[in-house]
Amino acid sequence: MSHLQRRNTVTLPEPIFDYEACLLACARGEQQALVALYAQESARLLGVAKRIARDSALAEDIVHDAFIKIWLRASSFDPGRGSARGWIFSLTRHMALNAMRETRLEIQVSENSELALQPLATLDGRLQTQDPLHWPDGCERIYGCLEQLDPARRSCIVHAYVDGYTHAEIANKLDTPLGTVKAWIKRSLSALRECMG
Amino acid sequence: MTSTPDNSDPADLDALAGEYVLGTLNGLQRRALEQRLPHEPDLQAAVDRWEARLLPLNDLAPAQQPSERLWPRIERSLNALNVPAPPTQASTRWWNLLPLWRGLTAAGLAATLALGTALWSATPAISPPAYVVVLVAPQSQTPGWVIQANDREHIQLIPLGVAQVPSDKALEFWTKGDDWAGPVSLGLVKPGQVLSLPLDRLPPLASDQLFELTLEGPNGSTTGKPTGPIQFIGRAVKVI
Repeated sequence: MSHLQRRNTVTLPEPIFDYEACLLACARGEQQALVALYAQESARLLGVAKRIARDSALAEDIVHDAFIKIWLRASSFDPGRGSARGWIFSLTRHMALNAMRETRLEIQVSENSELALQPLATLDGRLQTQDPLHWPDGCERIYGCLEQLDPARRSCIVHAYVDGYTHAEIANKLDTPLGTVKAWIKRSLSALRECMG
Repeated sequence: MTSTPDNSDPADLDALAGEYVLGTLNGLQRRALEQRLPHEPDLQAAVDRWEARLLPLNDLAPAQQPSERLWPRIERSLNALNVPAPPTQASTRWWNLLPLWRGLTAAGLAATLALGTALWSATPAISPPAYVVVLVAPQSQTPGWVIQANDREHIQLIPLGVAQVPSDKALEFWTKGDDWAGPVSLGLVKPGQVLSLPLDRLPPLASDQLFELTLEGPNGSTTGKPTGPIQFIGRAVKVI
Protein backbone atom coordinates (compact mmCIF):
# COMPACT_ATOMS: atom_id res chain seq x y z
CA MET A 1 0.00 0.00 0.00
CA SER A 2 2.76 2.42 0.78
CA HIS A 3 4.61 4.23 -1.93
CA LEU A 4 7.77 2.26 -1.21
CA GLN A 5 6.04 -1.04 -1.35
CA ARG A 6 4.50 -0.14 -4.64
CA ARG A 7 7.82 0.77 -6.16
CA ASN A 8 9.42 -2.44 -4.98
CA THR A 9 6.79 -4.60 -6.55
CA VAL A 10 6.81 -2.85 -9.88
CA THR A 11 7.84 -5.97 -11.80
CA LEU A 12 5.02 -7.96 -10.24
CA PRO A 13 1.43 -7.51 -11.29
CA GLU A 14 -0.10 -4.43 -9.69
CA PRO A 15 -2.28 -5.23 -6.69
CA ILE A 16 -5.72 -5.43 -8.13
CA PHE A 17 -7.89 -2.53 -7.16
CA ASP A 18 -10.81 -1.94 -9.43
CA TYR A 19 -11.14 1.84 -9.43
CA GLU A 20 -14.04 1.81 -11.82
CA ALA A 21 -16.02 -0.69 -9.74
CA CYS A 22 -15.17 1.42 -6.71
CA LEU A 23 -16.68 4.55 -8.28
CA LEU A 24 -19.75 2.62 -9.38
CA ALA A 25 -20.22 1.40 -5.80
CA CYS A 26 -19.81 4.97 -4.51
CA ALA A 27 -22.46 6.10 -6.98
CA ARG A 28 -24.75 3.44 -5.52
CA GLY A 29 -24.16 4.91 -2.08
CA GLU A 30 -21.91 2.14 -0.75
CA GLN A 31 -19.72 3.95 1.73
CA GLN A 32 -17.45 0.92 2.12
CA ALA A 33 -16.20 1.56 -1.41
CA LEU A 34 -15.02 5.00 -0.40
CA VAL A 35 -13.32 3.51 2.67
CA ALA A 36 -11.48 1.11 0.38
CA LEU A 37 -10.45 3.91 -1.94
CA TYR A 38 -9.18 5.89 1.03
CA ALA A 39 -7.09 2.94 2.17
CA GLN A 40 -5.76 2.50 -1.34
CA GLU A 41 -4.98 6.06 -2.41
CA SER A 42 -5.28 8.61 0.40
CA ALA A 43 -1.52 8.79 0.99
CA ARG A 44 -0.73 9.32 -2.67
CA LEU A 45 -3.56 11.82 -3.11
CA LEU A 46 -2.40 13.69 -0.02
CA GLY A 47 1.14 13.67 -1.46
CA VAL A 48 -0.11 15.28 -4.66
CA ALA A 49 -2.17 17.87 -2.76
CA LYS A 50 0.59 18.65 -0.27
CA ARG A 51 3.11 19.28 -3.00
CA ILE A 52 0.82 21.85 -4.60
CA ALA A 53 -0.67 23.33 -1.42
CA ARG A 54 2.71 23.46 0.36
CA ASP A 55 0.95 23.11 3.69
CA SER A 56 -0.11 19.92 5.47
CA ALA A 57 -3.32 21.26 6.98
CA LEU A 58 -4.49 22.79 3.71
CA ALA A 59 -3.55 19.57 1.89
CA GLU A 60 -5.75 17.58 4.28
CA ASP A 61 -8.59 20.04 3.71
CA ILE A 62 -8.21 19.48 0.00
CA VAL A 63 -8.19 15.69 0.30
CA HIS A 64 -11.22 15.87 2.60
CA ASP A 65 -13.07 17.91 0.01
CA ALA A 66 -11.83 15.64 -2.76
CA PHE A 67 -13.25 12.54 -1.09
CA ILE A 68 -16.59 14.28 -0.56
CA LYS A 69 -16.57 15.31 -4.19
CA ILE A 70 -15.61 11.81 -5.35
CA TRP A 71 -18.54 10.50 -3.33
CA LEU A 72 -20.97 13.07 -4.66
CA ARG A 73 -19.82 12.95 -8.25
CA ALA A 74 -18.95 9.28 -8.67
CA SER A 75 -22.06 8.83 -10.81
CA SER A 76 -20.73 11.40 -13.28
CA PHE A 77 -17.56 9.41 -13.98
CA ASP A 78 -17.48 8.43 -17.65
CA PRO A 79 -15.11 5.55 -18.46
CA GLY A 80 -15.14 6.66 -22.08
CA ARG A 81 -13.20 9.76 -21.09
CA GLY A 82 -10.35 8.17 -19.20
CA SER A 83 -9.38 5.85 -16.38
CA ALA A 84 -11.16 5.89 -13.04
CA ARG A 85 -7.86 6.30 -11.21
CA GLY A 86 -6.98 9.22 -13.47
CA TRP A 87 -10.36 10.80 -12.75
CA ILE A 88 -9.71 10.58 -9.00
CA PHE A 89 -6.24 12.07 -9.24
CA SER A 90 -7.24 14.80 -11.68
CA LEU A 91 -10.18 15.80 -9.52
CA THR A 92 -7.96 16.09 -6.44
CA ARG A 93 -5.15 17.86 -8.24
CA HIS A 94 -7.46 20.45 -9.79
CA MET A 95 -9.04 21.10 -6.39
CA ALA A 96 -5.56 21.77 -5.04
CA LEU A 97 -4.71 24.04 -7.98
CA ASN A 98 -8.00 25.89 -7.66
CA ALA A 99 -7.47 26.36 -3.93
CA MET A 100 -4.05 27.85 -4.57
CA ARG A 101 -5.18 30.07 -7.44
CA GLU A 102 -8.25 31.24 -5.52
CA THR A 103 -6.07 32.29 -2.58
CA ARG A 104 -4.04 34.35 -4.95
CA LEU A 105 -7.11 35.93 -6.45
CA GLU A 106 -8.10 37.26 -3.07
CA ILE A 107 -4.76 38.93 -2.63
CA GLN A 108 -4.08 40.19 -6.09
CA VAL A 109 -6.43 42.39 -8.00
CA SER A 110 -4.50 42.62 -11.21
CA GLU A 111 -3.26 39.64 -13.12
CA ASN A 112 -0.08 41.56 -13.84
CA SER A 113 0.82 41.79 -10.21
CA GLU A 114 1.53 38.07 -10.25
CA LEU A 115 5.21 38.90 -10.23
CA ALA A 116 4.84 40.66 -6.93
CA LEU A 117 3.81 37.44 -5.22
CA GLN A 118 6.93 35.49 -4.55
CA PRO A 119 6.63 33.33 -1.47
CA LEU A 120 9.44 31.18 -2.80
CA ALA A 121 11.85 31.74 0.06
CA THR A 122 9.83 29.29 2.12
CA LEU A 123 9.86 26.70 -0.61
CA ASP A 124 13.46 26.48 -1.62
CA GLY A 125 14.42 23.97 1.01
CA ARG A 126 11.76 21.55 -0.05
CA LEU A 127 12.58 21.86 -3.71
CA GLN A 128 16.12 20.68 -3.43
CA THR A 129 14.76 17.16 -3.39
CA GLN A 130 13.36 17.71 -6.88
CA ASP A 131 15.64 16.09 -9.37
CA PRO A 132 13.88 15.52 -12.67
CA LEU A 133 16.47 12.93 -13.68
CA HIS A 134 15.37 10.55 -10.96
CA TRP A 135 12.15 9.38 -12.44
CA PRO A 136 10.10 6.79 -10.62
CA ASP A 137 10.42 3.23 -11.83
CA GLY A 138 8.18 2.25 -14.65
CA CYS A 139 8.11 2.64 -18.37
CA GLU A 140 5.59 5.45 -18.66
CA ARG A 141 5.91 7.12 -21.99
CA ILE A 142 5.90 10.60 -20.52
CA TYR A 143 9.34 10.06 -18.99
CA GLY A 144 10.91 9.07 -22.27
CA CYS A 145 9.41 12.15 -23.88
CA LEU A 146 10.53 14.42 -21.04
CA GLU A 147 14.07 13.09 -21.45
CA GLN A 148 14.07 14.51 -24.95
CA LEU A 149 13.46 18.02 -23.65
CA ASP A 150 16.21 20.41 -22.68
CA PRO A 151 16.71 20.08 -18.86
CA ALA A 152 15.52 23.60 -18.08
CA ARG A 153 12.34 23.08 -20.10
CA ARG A 154 11.83 19.72 -18.44
CA SER A 155 12.06 21.47 -15.07
CA CYS A 156 9.38 23.92 -16.14
CA ILE A 157 6.96 21.06 -16.86
CA VAL A 158 7.73 19.23 -13.62
CA HIS A 159 7.56 22.36 -11.46
CA ALA A 160 4.25 23.33 -13.03
CA TYR A 161 2.60 19.93 -12.84
CA VAL A 162 3.99 18.51 -9.62
CA ASP A 163 4.63 21.68 -7.60
CA GLY A 164 1.75 23.69 -8.98
CA TYR A 165 4.06 26.60 -9.72
CA THR A 166 2.79 29.57 -11.67
CA HIS A 167 4.73 30.90 -14.65
CA ALA A 168 6.13 33.62 -12.41
CA GLU A 169 7.24 31.18 -9.73
CA ILE A 170 9.02 29.04 -12.29
CA ALA A 171 10.70 32.12 -13.75
CA ASN A 172 11.85 33.06 -10.28
CA LYS A 173 12.99 29.55 -9.45
CA LEU A 174 14.96 29.11 -12.66
CA ASP A 175 16.11 32.72 -12.71
CA THR A 176 14.80 33.06 -16.24
CA PRO A 177 12.66 35.85 -17.75
CA LEU A 178 8.93 35.27 -17.47
CA GLY A 179 8.37 35.53 -21.22
CA THR A 180 11.01 32.88 -21.85
CA VAL A 181 9.40 30.52 -19.36
CA LYS A 182 6.00 30.99 -20.96
CA ALA A 183 7.44 30.26 -24.41
CA TRP A 184 9.36 27.22 -23.13
CA ILE A 185 6.26 25.75 -21.58
CA LYS A 186 4.18 26.33 -24.69
CA ARG A 187 6.78 24.66 -26.89
CA SER A 188 7.44 21.86 -24.42
CA LEU A 189 3.74 20.99 -24.31
CA SER A 190 3.70 20.95 -28.06
CA ALA A 191 6.78 18.70 -28.14
CA LEU A 192 5.24 16.35 -25.56
CA ARG A 193 2.09 16.08 -27.60
CA GLU A 194 4.11 15.24 -30.70
CA CYS A 195 6.13 12.67 -28.79
CA MET A 196 3.22 11.02 -27.02
CA GLY A 197 0.55 11.32 -29.65
CA MET B 1 -21.19 30.55 -23.73
CA THR B 2 -20.09 34.16 -23.61
CA SER B 3 -18.04 35.69 -26.38
CA THR B 4 -15.08 33.40 -26.16
CA PRO B 5 -11.86 34.33 -27.89
CA ASP B 6 -11.31 32.44 -31.11
CA ASN B 7 -9.39 29.48 -29.78
CA SER B 8 -11.58 27.15 -31.72
CA ASP B 9 -8.51 26.32 -33.80
CA PRO B 10 -7.67 22.74 -32.72
CA ALA B 11 -4.02 23.61 -32.04
CA ASP B 12 -4.97 26.58 -29.85
CA LEU B 13 -7.59 24.52 -28.09
CA ASP B 14 -5.06 21.82 -27.41
CA ALA B 15 -2.48 24.32 -26.14
CA LEU B 16 -5.05 25.85 -23.79
CA ALA B 17 -6.08 22.41 -22.54
CA GLY B 18 -2.42 21.53 -21.99
CA GLU B 19 -1.75 24.65 -19.93
CA TYR B 20 -4.91 24.01 -17.90
CA VAL B 21 -3.91 20.46 -17.04
CA LEU B 22 -0.30 21.46 -16.46
CA GLY B 23 -1.58 24.09 -14.00
CA THR B 24 -0.15 27.26 -15.51
CA LEU B 25 -3.42 29.08 -16.09
CA ASN B 26 -4.29 31.69 -13.48
CA GLY B 27 -7.44 31.50 -11.36
CA LEU B 28 -9.62 33.49 -13.75
CA GLN B 29 -8.46 31.54 -16.78
CA ARG B 30 -8.99 28.26 -14.95
CA ARG B 31 -12.50 29.20 -13.99
CA ALA B 32 -13.34 30.43 -17.48
CA LEU B 33 -12.09 27.17 -18.97
CA GLU B 34 -13.93 25.02 -16.44
CA GLN B 35 -17.13 26.81 -17.33
CA ARG B 36 -16.59 26.07 -21.01
CA LEU B 37 -15.88 22.37 -20.53
CA PRO B 38 -19.48 21.13 -20.21
CA HIS B 39 -20.43 22.92 -23.43
CA GLU B 40 -17.39 22.19 -25.57
CA PRO B 41 -16.76 18.50 -26.18
CA ASP B 42 -13.62 19.20 -28.25
CA LEU B 43 -12.08 21.16 -25.40
CA GLN B 44 -13.12 18.49 -22.91
CA ALA B 45 -11.59 15.80 -25.11
CA ALA B 46 -8.34 17.78 -25.36
CA VAL B 47 -8.28 18.16 -21.56
CA ASP B 48 -8.93 14.44 -21.12
CA ARG B 49 -6.03 13.58 -23.43
CA TRP B 50 -3.69 15.88 -21.48
CA GLU B 51 -4.84 14.41 -18.18
CA ALA B 52 -3.97 10.94 -19.45
CA ARG B 53 -0.59 12.06 -20.83
CA LEU B 54 0.59 13.82 -17.68
CA LEU B 55 -1.03 11.58 -15.06
CA PRO B 56 2.13 9.47 -14.41
CA LEU B 57 3.91 12.65 -13.21
CA ASN B 58 1.83 12.43 -10.04
CA ASP B 59 4.18 9.63 -9.00
CA LEU B 60 6.87 12.29 -8.52
CA ALA B 61 5.03 13.67 -5.50
CA PRO B 62 6.07 11.59 -2.48
CA ALA B 63 3.14 9.89 -0.79
CA GLN B 64 2.21 11.35 2.54
CA GLN B 65 0.41 9.44 5.27
CA PRO B 66 -2.73 11.35 6.28
CA SER B 67 -3.22 12.21 9.94
CA GLU B 68 -5.53 9.95 11.92
CA ARG B 69 -8.06 12.74 12.00
CA LEU B 70 -8.65 12.85 8.27
CA TRP B 71 -10.85 9.82 7.67
CA PRO B 72 -13.11 10.46 10.70
CA ARG B 73 -13.54 13.98 9.39
CA ILE B 74 -14.51 12.72 5.93
CA GLU B 75 -16.89 10.26 7.54
CA ARG B 76 -18.54 12.99 9.60
CA SER B 77 -19.06 15.08 6.48
CA LEU B 78 -20.51 12.08 4.65
CA ASN B 79 -22.88 11.40 7.52
CA ALA B 80 -23.92 15.02 7.52
CA LEU B 81 -24.85 14.65 3.88
CA ASN B 82 -27.12 11.73 4.69
CA VAL B 83 -30.69 12.59 5.49
CA PRO B 84 -31.92 10.59 8.52
CA ALA B 85 -34.07 8.09 6.61
CA PRO B 86 -31.85 6.80 3.82
CA PRO B 87 -33.76 6.08 0.65
CA THR B 88 -33.53 2.65 -0.91
CA GLN B 89 -32.57 4.10 -4.27
CA ALA B 90 -29.29 5.95 -3.88
CA SER B 91 -29.63 7.49 -7.29
CA THR B 92 -32.58 9.58 -6.19
CA ARG B 93 -30.78 11.31 -3.34
CA TRP B 94 -30.85 14.98 -3.97
CA TRP B 95 -27.16 15.53 -3.65
CA ASN B 96 -26.50 13.24 -6.57
CA LEU B 97 -27.72 16.16 -8.60
CA LEU B 98 -24.78 18.23 -7.39
CA PRO B 99 -22.67 17.51 -10.46
CA LEU B 100 -25.38 19.13 -12.49
CA TRP B 101 -25.16 22.24 -10.37
CA ARG B 102 -21.55 22.89 -11.08
CA GLY B 103 -21.10 25.93 -13.19
CA LEU B 104 -24.78 26.58 -13.48
CA THR B 105 -26.23 30.01 -12.98
CA ALA B 106 -28.70 30.73 -10.24
CA ALA B 107 -31.51 30.19 -12.71
CA GLY B 108 -30.05 26.84 -13.66
CA LEU B 109 -29.93 25.90 -10.01
CA ALA B 110 -33.62 26.53 -9.60
CA ALA B 111 -34.31 24.27 -12.57
CA THR B 112 -32.14 21.56 -11.05
CA LEU B 113 -34.04 21.72 -7.81
CA ALA B 114 -37.28 21.38 -9.70
CA LEU B 115 -35.88 18.24 -11.29
CA GLY B 116 -34.89 16.95 -7.88
CA THR B 117 -38.42 17.49 -6.65
CA ALA B 118 -39.76 15.50 -9.58
CA LEU B 119 -37.44 12.63 -8.70
CA TRP B 120 -38.54 12.54 -5.09
CA SER B 121 -42.18 12.48 -5.89
CA ALA B 122 -41.60 8.98 -7.25
CA THR B 123 -40.27 7.74 -3.89
CA PRO B 124 -42.68 8.89 -1.20
CA ALA B 125 -40.99 6.93 1.63
CA ILE B 126 -38.07 9.36 1.80
CA SER B 127 -38.13 12.42 3.99
CA PRO B 128 -36.10 14.87 1.94
CA PRO B 129 -35.10 18.28 3.23
CA ALA B 130 -37.93 20.76 3.15
CA TYR B 131 -35.68 23.64 2.15
CA VAL B 132 -32.37 23.78 0.37
CA VAL B 133 -30.05 26.73 -0.09
CA VAL B 134 -27.07 26.59 -2.41
CA LEU B 135 -24.53 29.20 -1.39
CA VAL B 136 -22.47 30.26 -4.37
CA ALA B 137 -19.50 32.59 -4.75
CA PRO B 138 -20.94 35.88 -6.06
CA GLN B 139 -18.56 36.20 -9.00
CA SER B 140 -18.10 32.68 -10.26
CA GLN B 141 -21.42 31.20 -9.11
CA THR B 142 -19.40 28.22 -7.92
CA PRO B 143 -21.32 26.37 -5.22
CA GLY B 144 -19.37 26.45 -1.96
CA TRP B 145 -21.86 25.38 0.69
CA VAL B 146 -25.28 23.83 0.88
CA ILE B 147 -27.84 24.43 3.59
CA GLN B 148 -30.50 21.82 4.10
CA ALA B 149 -33.41 22.02 6.48
CA ASN B 150 -35.72 19.15 7.29
CA ASP B 151 -38.08 21.50 9.06
CA ARG B 152 -38.37 25.26 9.39
CA GLU B 153 -36.64 25.47 12.79
CA HIS B 154 -33.29 23.78 12.11
CA ILE B 155 -30.74 24.17 9.38
CA GLN B 156 -27.57 22.34 8.54
CA LEU B 157 -24.69 24.05 6.75
CA ILE B 158 -22.53 21.68 4.70
CA PRO B 159 -19.27 22.67 2.98
CA LEU B 160 -18.69 21.54 -0.61
CA GLY B 161 -15.29 23.04 -1.29
CA VAL B 162 -12.20 24.49 0.30
CA ALA B 163 -13.15 27.94 1.52
CA GLN B 164 -9.97 29.96 1.81
CA VAL B 165 -9.96 32.37 4.72
CA PRO B 166 -6.94 34.56 5.52
CA SER B 167 -5.54 33.76 8.98
CA ASP B 168 -6.60 37.10 10.44
CA LYS B 169 -10.18 36.78 9.17
CA ALA B 170 -13.21 34.65 9.90
CA LEU B 171 -16.30 33.60 7.97
CA GLU B 172 -19.51 34.89 9.50
CA PHE B 173 -22.86 33.35 8.65
CA TRP B 174 -25.89 35.62 8.18
CA THR B 175 -29.53 35.33 7.27
CA LYS B 176 -32.24 37.78 6.39
CA GLY B 177 -35.92 37.18 5.72
CA ASP B 178 -37.73 39.26 3.11
CA ASP B 179 -39.43 41.53 5.62
CA TRP B 180 -36.69 41.75 8.21
CA ALA B 181 -35.01 45.06 8.95
CA GLY B 182 -31.53 43.65 8.41
CA PRO B 183 -29.40 40.53 8.41
CA VAL B 184 -28.99 38.54 11.64
CA SER B 185 -25.74 36.79 12.50
CA LEU B 186 -25.81 33.02 12.89
CA GLY B 187 -22.24 32.99 14.19
CA LEU B 188 -18.80 32.19 12.88
CA VAL B 189 -18.15 29.25 10.56
CA LYS B 190 -14.87 27.43 10.09
CA PRO B 191 -13.96 26.41 6.51
CA GLY B 192 -14.85 22.76 6.04
CA GLN B 193 -17.05 22.71 9.13
CA VAL B 194 -20.47 21.08 9.10
CA LEU B 195 -22.77 23.11 11.28
CA SER B 196 -26.22 22.31 12.67
CA LEU B 197 -28.10 25.32 13.91
CA PRO B 198 -31.48 25.81 15.58
CA LEU B 199 -33.34 28.87 14.32
CA ASP B 200 -35.25 29.14 17.60
CA ARG B 201 -34.53 32.83 18.08
CA LEU B 202 -35.72 33.62 14.59
CA PRO B 203 -38.91 33.41 12.57
CA PRO B 204 -39.34 30.00 10.85
CA LEU B 205 -37.37 29.50 7.67
CA ALA B 206 -39.18 30.81 4.62
CA SER B 207 -38.78 30.61 0.87
CA ASP B 208 -36.38 33.17 -0.57
CA GLN B 209 -34.81 33.79 2.83
CA LEU B 210 -31.31 35.09 2.21
CA PHE B 211 -28.20 33.36 3.57
CA GLU B 212 -24.66 34.57 3.16
CA LEU B 213 -21.13 34.10 4.44
CA THR B 214 -19.03 37.24 4.73
CA LEU B 215 -15.39 37.78 5.54
CA GLU B 216 -15.09 39.52 8.90
CA GLY B 217 -12.51 40.12 11.62
CA PRO B 218 -11.35 37.10 13.66
CA ASN B 219 -14.15 37.60 16.22
CA GLY B 220 -16.81 38.42 13.68
CA SER B 221 -18.36 41.72 12.75
CA THR B 222 -18.12 44.28 15.54
CA THR B 223 -21.17 46.20 14.36
CA GLY B 224 -23.64 43.31 14.40
CA LYS B 225 -24.12 43.74 10.66
CA PRO B 226 -22.07 42.32 7.79
CA THR B 227 -19.14 44.60 7.00
CA GLY B 228 -16.82 42.47 4.89
CA PRO B 229 -17.09 41.11 1.34
CA ILE B 230 -19.66 38.41 0.62
CA GLN B 231 -17.95 35.07 0.01
CA PHE B 232 -21.03 32.92 -0.60
CA ILE B 233 -24.67 33.80 -0.99
CA GLY B 234 -27.96 32.06 -1.74
CA ARG B 235 -31.68 32.00 -1.08
CA ALA B 236 -33.82 29.28 0.43
CA VAL B 237 -35.80 27.17 -2.00
CA LYS B 238 -38.73 25.07 -0.83
CA VAL B 239 -38.34 21.64 -2.35
CA ILE B 240 -41.74 20.06 -1.90
